[in-house]
Parts: sequence; structure tokens; C-alpha cells
Amino acid sequence: MATQILEINDLTHRYPDGDGGIFDISFSVNKGEFIILAGQNGSGKTTLIRHLNGLFKPEKGTIRLHGQDIFKDLTHTRKTVGMVFQDADTQIVCDTVFDEVAFGPENLNLDRTIVNTKVNTVLDQLNLTQLKDRNPATLSGGEKRKLTIAGILAMDPEVIVFDEPFANLDYPGTQSLLAVISALNKNGQTIIMATHDVETVMQSASRLLIISRGRLVADGEMTEMIRHLESNGIKPPCTCTMEPSFPPMSMNPPCQ
Amino acid sequence: MNPFMFKTGNSLLHGLDTRCKVFLVCMVSLSLVNADFPACGILFGVLAFFTKDIGLRIGQTLKHLRYFILFLIFILLSRALTISGDPLVSLHGMTISIQGLYQGSLVGLRFFLIMITGLVFSATTQPSSLKSAAQWYLKPIPFVPEKRVAIMISLALRFLPLLIQQAQETSNAICARCGNLEKNPVKRFIRLTLPLLKKTFLSADHLILAMEARCYCEDRTDPKFEPSGKESIFIVVSLAFWFCLLLA
Repeated sequence: MATQILEINDLTHRYPDGDGGIFDISFSVNKGEFIILAGQNGSGKTTLIRHLNGLFKPEKGTIRLHGQDIFKDLTHTRKTVGMVFQDADTQIVCDTVFDEVAFGPENLNLDRTIVNTKVNTVLDQLNLTQLKDRNPATLSGGEKRKLTIAGILAMDPEVIVFDEPFANLDYPGTQSLLAVISALNKNGQTIIMATHDVETVMQSASRLLIISRGRLVADGEMTEMIRHLESNGIKPPCTCTMEPSFPPMSMNPPCQ
Repeated sequence: MNPFMFKTGNSLLHGLDTRCKVFLVCMVSLSLVNADFPACGILFGVLAFFTKDIGLRIGQTLKHLRYFILFLIFILLSRALTISGDPLVSLHGMTISIQGLYQGSLVGLRFFLIMITGLVFSATTQPSSLKSAAQWYLKPIPFVPEKRVAIMISLALRFLPLLIQQAQETSNAICARCGNLEKNPVKRFIRLTLPLLKKTFLSADHLILAMEARCYCEDRTDPKFEPSGKESIFIVVSLAFWFCLLLA
């Protein structure tokens, strides 16, 4: 039986101006899963994922991490559930790649030797070692995204939540980032990714959640849920549009 | 790329502890207050040695500093023309005095040496080490949250170029819609600053969330310094130089 990490029950969050928000959302996250959270712009994806590590407090409902309310120990929650934001530029805090990766472990007040070891390991894992003295401002878009992932990985999270990780990335940047994320998942890392670009990640993901107007409208295996994309305003993968009787034999056909 | 950016290297100054370098910069600045031409000459020689040692190209550096050098020439001329003394040249009622020229050259040279000191310091010091050194110096001062100040220095260093870039982008977006045709400077200022401020505050909001998401707190791991062992020699020499100038 799969180990449950996160359990979200009846989560509701309304914004004071009445626009947007999320309503009665319930689902759970098991260890090693790769979950795509798909939805239109403004559907509530970002609002939902910002609850997962306690950045937002729900109006109603609970989030449990290994059975314990996430707000009981926020530091533990944020260490366990790492979050990679959409805009890398506003997430990067320090003036060198090394310091940026060290920022999280330093906040946990770890010993300097442990911080350095963690940073070097993560830089090596993501092939960023040669950039460690560079100013993050001089990195390419793809390198910046990798750096933000490195900053989270250095905190040893169990779950990494991505908010539109492929936004504003070119094709090679997207492929390189996807390879990194897929490799992390293959090594046992649990991934939750909010995106409206399902096609890019459909091959790597195991589960699809669809959110529409703040409500969870579909939750299940990728191959079964994919047919619900278009009706909820999300671009379906090319395969779906070419072959109405999806699922087809191949999940990654050439798109002409 | 400008000469004030950090450059990796193995020079004598690169290996020096940043706290010592901050101290040396202070000592050089203090010494220059009392420095006459011979002392300035000695400092010039020392700085020229370090500039060469860290691999800065003199010609390229001077090219980057051309506006500053123009400013120094302006100081020299204004001093030479306004300080009364023995006339050196008189032209159209304006007199350049020997004393004015001497004073102007000395002030200009002092400013130049301070600039070169800053340049050598910033080219051999990582911004993160500077932040750590500031934290170390502020630690003994009561009621000063040194860790908060250090993170603020880090954020300023990180976000200043980003702000400049955003200002440029906003300006370009305004020009793309012929906003540059607006002659009223107040309107032009408002059109640039309002969207820029909005963007900046939004970015600040995102930054706060991103820092919170990574457990930001003030009880953080302290920075580690790695002295090269040569710091004491530099400190003694700089103190001795300063004392000599005080006594002279």
C-alpha cells in the first residue's frame, strides 16, 4: 500500500474581493507520485498549492502532513513540502548560485559544514557546480529554474510543488527542466505540478487533477482523466485531438 | 561587465579575509584625509601594484572611469580658479593660482585613490562575503539586528540590477506607444514610476512568499570566514601608515 504524505480535506479559501478562491477541495498525495494539477488561468491552481506548505491559511478544511496538521510546525512543513514558484527572478534571493542554494539550509540553522556539503551535493546533482560563483542574474531562464529547484532540494523535501515551471521557457529549456523533474521523481521524489501545459509532462506524470473555477472536477490516472481536459478549458495533448478514442497506443506521438 | 564586479582570482587580496579588507578600506580612506602628495604617491604605488596583481586592465578601467575622471578635472579647475594665491596663468580676467592648482590636484588625486581603492576592493570581494563581514562588524553593536541588516544588503545587491532592468522595460513599453513625445517631465515621471512601483511591490510580495517558503528566520547559520594568515601584516602596516600621517 502506498504511503500517504499529504491529505487535503474540504479545503476552502475565499479572497476578500470575492473573486477566485478554492472550494471544498479534497485529495491525498502518496509517496513517489507525480501529480499534475491542471486548470485554466485563474482556476485556483496557485491558490491551492500555496496552501500545501502553509503559505496561505484556509478558511475551512484541513491539510495533514503525515497525519499532523501542517500549521502545528510550519518550519517542518516548509522543509518537507518545497515550493518552486512561477517567477524564478522573484524567488532568487542571493547574489551567487552557491549562496542561493545555501539560503534554505542556513534558515534551518544547520551547521556550516553540513550546509556546504548539502549545497555541493545538490549543485553536482543538477550540473550547476561550474556556475556556483555566478550571479543568478546572469543565468539563462532554464538555469534559473534549475537553481530554484536546487534551492529547494538542499532542504531535503519529501514533496516538491511546482507552479507553472515551464512558463517563459524555450523548448531546450523546457526539455532540460523536464528531464531534471522526471529524474527526481524516478528517484522517489513526490512531485505536484500546477500547469496548463499538460502535453509537456503527460508522459512523466502518473495522476491528473483538474481544477475549474476553484473546484476539483477530476482526479485520477492520467490516461483516464485526460479526456476531461478540453471540456474544462485546458488544451488537450495532440493525441487527443487527432484520435477521439483516446487512450491511443503511444503517449507521445509526433505533433505535426 | 564593469570593473566594479567581482572577478574570481588567486591574488593576494582575493585570499584576504573580507573583514580585513573592509578594515583596510577604512584605513586608506582615513589616511587620505591627511595625505599629502608624497603619501598619495606611496598609496598610488601600492594600489597600482594590487590593480596589476588582480589582473585589471588599466586602459579598460580608465575608460570605464572616464566620467569620473572628467568630474575630477572639473574639481581641479574649480579649485585652481577659485583659490587665491600666486598667479600662474591669467586669461580673460580668470586667474589660475599655484596654490589653487596644488589644492585642486591634491583633492582630485585623493578622490581618484578612494575610487581605485573601492574598485580593487569590489573586484576582489564577493558580495556575499561583504554581507557576512557587515554582519560580523554589526554583531557587537546593541539593538542592531545584524542578521536582518545582512539579508537586506544581500537583497539590495540582488534586486538593484533587477529594478534597473524593470525600469528600462517600463520605459521601453512607454516609448513603444510614443510616450516619449510627452514633453511634460512630471507626466513622464508619473507614467514611469507608477507602473514601476506597482511591479516592485508585487515582486516584493512574491519575494516574501518565496523566503517564507524556504523557512526564512533570523536565527540562521552564521557565515564562516577563512583568513589567509596574512591579515595581521596588512592591518599593522595600514595602522602604521595612518599613524605616520597623523604625526606628520
